Amino acid sequence: MLLESVEGTWLRLKALVHRRKLDRDLDDELAFHLAMRAEKYGSGPQARAQAQRQFGNVTRIRETCRELWTFAPLETLWQDLRYACRTLKRTPAFTAVALLSLALGIGANTALFSLVNVMLLRALPVKDPQGLVEFVRATPAGAMMTNLPNPVFEFLRQDRNALADVFAIRESHPALRDGGQVNRVMAHQVSGTFFRSLGVQPLRGRAILPDDDWTGAANRVAVLSYAFWSRRFGQSPSAIGANVRLSGELFTVVGVMPAEFFGVDRSRVPDLWVPLATNPNPGEVWVLGRLRPGVALPRARVVLEPVFHRALEWIWDTADMKQWPEQESRGFMSQRLIVNRATEGTSGVRWSYWEYSSTLKILVGLTILILLIACVNLANLLTSRSAARSREISVRLALGAGRWRLVRQLLTENLLLAFVGGALGLLLAGWGHRILLDFLLSDPLSGAFNYRLDPRVLAFGLALSLATGLLFGLLPAIRATRAGLADALHGAARQTGTAQQPLAKGLVVLQVGLSTVLLIGAGLFARSLRNLDVADLGFARENLLLTDVQTSAKTPQARQQFWTELTRRLGVVPGVRNVALAGDAVFGNGGWNNTVWIRHGGRATQNVHLSENYVSPGFFATAGVPILAGREFSERDRESTPDVTVVNLAFARRFYPGENPIGQRLSGGDRPAAPTEEIVGVVGDAKYGTVREELQPMFFHPLEQAPPLSSCVLHVRAVSNPILLEPAIRREIEAIDGDAVVGEMKTVPQIVHTQLREDRMLATLASFFSLLALALGAIGIYGIVAYRVARRTAEIGIRMALGATQGAVLWLVVRETLILLVCGVAIGVPSALAGARLIRSQLFALSPSDPLALSCATAAVLAAGALAAFLPARRAASAAPLAALQSE
Amino acid sequence: MGEQQKPGDLVQGTLDMLVLRTLARGAMHGYGIAEFIQTTSNNVLRVEEGALYPALHRLELRGLLASDWGISENNRRAKYYRLTAAGRKHLAVESEHWGRMSAAIALVMNSA
Repeated sequence: MLLESVEGTWLRLKALVHRRKLDRDLDDELAFHLAMRAEKYGSGPQARAQAQRQFGNVTRIRETCRELWTFAPLETLWQDLRYACRTLKRTPAFTAVALLSLALGIGANTALFSLVNVMLLRALPVKDPQGLVEFVRATPAGAMMTNLPNPVFEFLRQDRNALADVFAIRESHPALRDGGQVNRVMAHQVSGTFFRSLGVQPLRGRAILPDDDWTGAANRVAVLSYAFWSRRFGQSPSAIGANVRLSGELFTVVGVMPAEFFGVDRSRVPDLWVPLATNPNPGEVWVLGRLRPGVALPRARVVLEPVFHRALEWIWDTADMKQWPEQESRGFMSQRLIVNRATEGTSGVRWSYWEYSSTLKILVGLTILILLIACVNLANLLTSRSAARSREISVRLALGAGRWRLVRQLLTENLLLAFVGGALGLLLAGWGHRILLDFLLSDPLSGAFNYRLDPRVLAFGLALSLATGLLFGLLPAIRATRAGLADALHGAARQTGTAQQPLAKGLVVLQVGLSTVLLIGAGLFARSLRNLDVADLGFARENLLLTDVQTSAKTPQARQQFWTELTRRLGVVPGVRNVALAGDAVFGNGGWNNTVWIRHGGRATQNVHLSENYVSPGFFATAGVPILAGREFSERDRESTPDVTVVNLAFARRFYPGENPIGQRLSGGDRPAAPTEEIVGVVGDAKYGTVREELQPMFFHPLEQAPPLSSCVLHVRAVSNPILLEPAIRREIEAIDGDAVVGEMKTVPQIVHTQLREDRMLATLASFFSLLALALGAIGIYGIVAYRVARRTAEIGIRMALGATQGAVLWLVVRETLILLVCGVAIGVPSALAGARLIRSQLFALSPSDPLALSCATAAVLAAGALAAFLPARRAASAAPLAALQSE
Repeated sequence: MGEQQKPGDLVQGTLDMLVLRTLARGAMHGYGIAEFIQTTSNNVLRVEEGALYPALHRLELRGLLASDWGISENNRRAKYYRLTAAGRKHLAVESEHWGRMSAAIALVMNSA
């Protein structure tokens, strides 16, 4: 039996290939039989006719035999597909719209899923990623910080109960000297067990070993990343053993890692790895490790938390934290240790974008909306289309087609649509995925993201296509074949078309509502972006250049000399109006946090935690921050002269309301008893961090009155375009200190542009999606009205023959759609308002119920919908009544 | 085609067996098979084309027959069928089965 079916299948396969031969052979065989029989009856046409009669239905016999040779289900499927293609080609507009909707909906979702997959779901390319854990501390405020104080690592290292292995990483940005150029690179200082724990073999040479990781190590070793090795050494084997100079110190290259290795954080891929011991003051580190076999996460936490606390206590004792404000130290000591699985690595991106930023969540919301709109659009179009085809379907049913056969055929049509749309969507996703990543990562070059499409993503896309196809395809198919035969044939379907079709109307309303929501969202984002762009920063934007400069001078005197010399020389460069230095820039990190004691005459001394900054003389003039009272720092404020300080307006308002702060005294955190610094000036508020930040109270010290910093931010205000000054500035710096590291030179507009990247992306995407949704909706409405009008042609003809004006007919057709539009908007606006509250934090200087955005969006939806309904209606109304009547 | 069983109509399984037996005598084309069965049964068994050809193709797909194209007696192109080894085996089984069945039926019909 089995053998027979195998034989049969083989023969059938052969027949599949030689289809025409099969047909010819069958014809010949039957023709032969017929001819032989005809011969028996004599010759001539009569004989043949008699033979034919006796033979029977040749075609039927041939079909029966032919069918034996084919794979029946495959044949029907193939038939269905071809029919589906033909049908879809006949209505190109519908097909195009449907495919576009699908491609966008599925494409957007797949791109986003792919992103999530890459960022969150892919395991690290190391040995046994499931066994990796990371250590995180939880502050009382609920923040999760991945950076632990170095002593915690030292204490954890000694544990033998729960940990099989533990390693620490610290990121640094040393200056790499390469010939005449000095550049910043990213290095990860790792403990000796790092490479061993991750278990990845180096491509060349060796990795860092525990032996390399102690302070007295003779040789300072470095391991290169593949990308860095390619860039700097051109993949030459002579890199091993070569020396690199990092911030003045010599390191020997001992190995190169393979291309797919990036450490434990996808978003921060270093150029090289060096031993942690080369850093005398690690400060804070990331700590990861592996648990002993049999130790589960909760148990590990229970065992290691006491260790963590012992470390905290040690820090308390040695760092003399008794000076800290009560609240601070209590907060510090009550931190908890969390142990997490780190299968996908630790991800700066993950922490900042999933937990803290709402951007990703908003994106997810947008793409789901788009998919919904696409499905609704399609369901609507299909329902109308099948209503228009009800005639065809009824005829086919009457001719004897099985109902399920018809359903299967309609379903094949819809699934074909879904899959082609899905395929297009995947193409879109591949392209959009890259753009999304570039937008979301602040520094895409440092990320080890490859843009290859994952099979998981493909599977997701396919599954989505299938689900969508079934969702919007099955129901209309079943409904279509349910139509009563006689009614449909007699054209009663036309009347039911004009009657209420709650499903179709509901879908239109839903679509209009969704489009409204998207449009309002887009409007809000766009306005928020504009507000951000023109926000008042508190300082003068034009012609200001900012650069990080790090001197290689080691002693305080040398450093001081560097800065003085720098200011002097740059001051005389032609085209430079002002030069100033600051420890932290305008648009920097928001200054340092420090404690300050404020003495009020007669009142208790206040102790607050604020931001401070160190600036050079003339800084405020350079930055364009107005001086509101008193003076700013000058050349006369030196180490030897009395300590002075300048505060900003917010400070003055908060701590000296109604009084003049000038002349009052403050003191820094470690000297509460002796308020030594005198306030000599009040300056305007400015933003020292980001465009979005709120204006904080700040106070400033002269650079001269503090230990000279190793790096400062250079502020240069130029007479005209500051970029032109870049070469001159670099030359001057090089002349003073050849080993100094000069960072990228940026103008304020450039920095703002980079900072607003996320907002720009959201606004762009939201606008794009919403316009798309609007276009899709409009086309959908157009199609539906066109179908309806086509079926009502006779009715329109009658009305016009009876004397109705064109305008009245127009109104009749359009009125229905207008009602639907208004309903849709009525649903959309409150939903949008509710949703807008969720994104309130994202909006800058804008109310979630901003009337301008709301009204523009509503107007756009109504206008587009009305136009879409108006066009086919007008065409119908302008048709001659006779022609309309005769159309049936 | 005939819906009622007329004398001379053959049930499909029986037709298969007759075809196989015919071909045991040598390779033949479809027309030849039909003529042989009709003639040998004294015109009692008439094989309809609508049954014959599907049967032939089914048997071929089951591997009991093999086919070749050749030239007939009067120089026409014709498809000749022949038994395969499996076909011969199947014929033996079927005819043995048929023999037992007809003997049993005869016993019942001829009983008193």
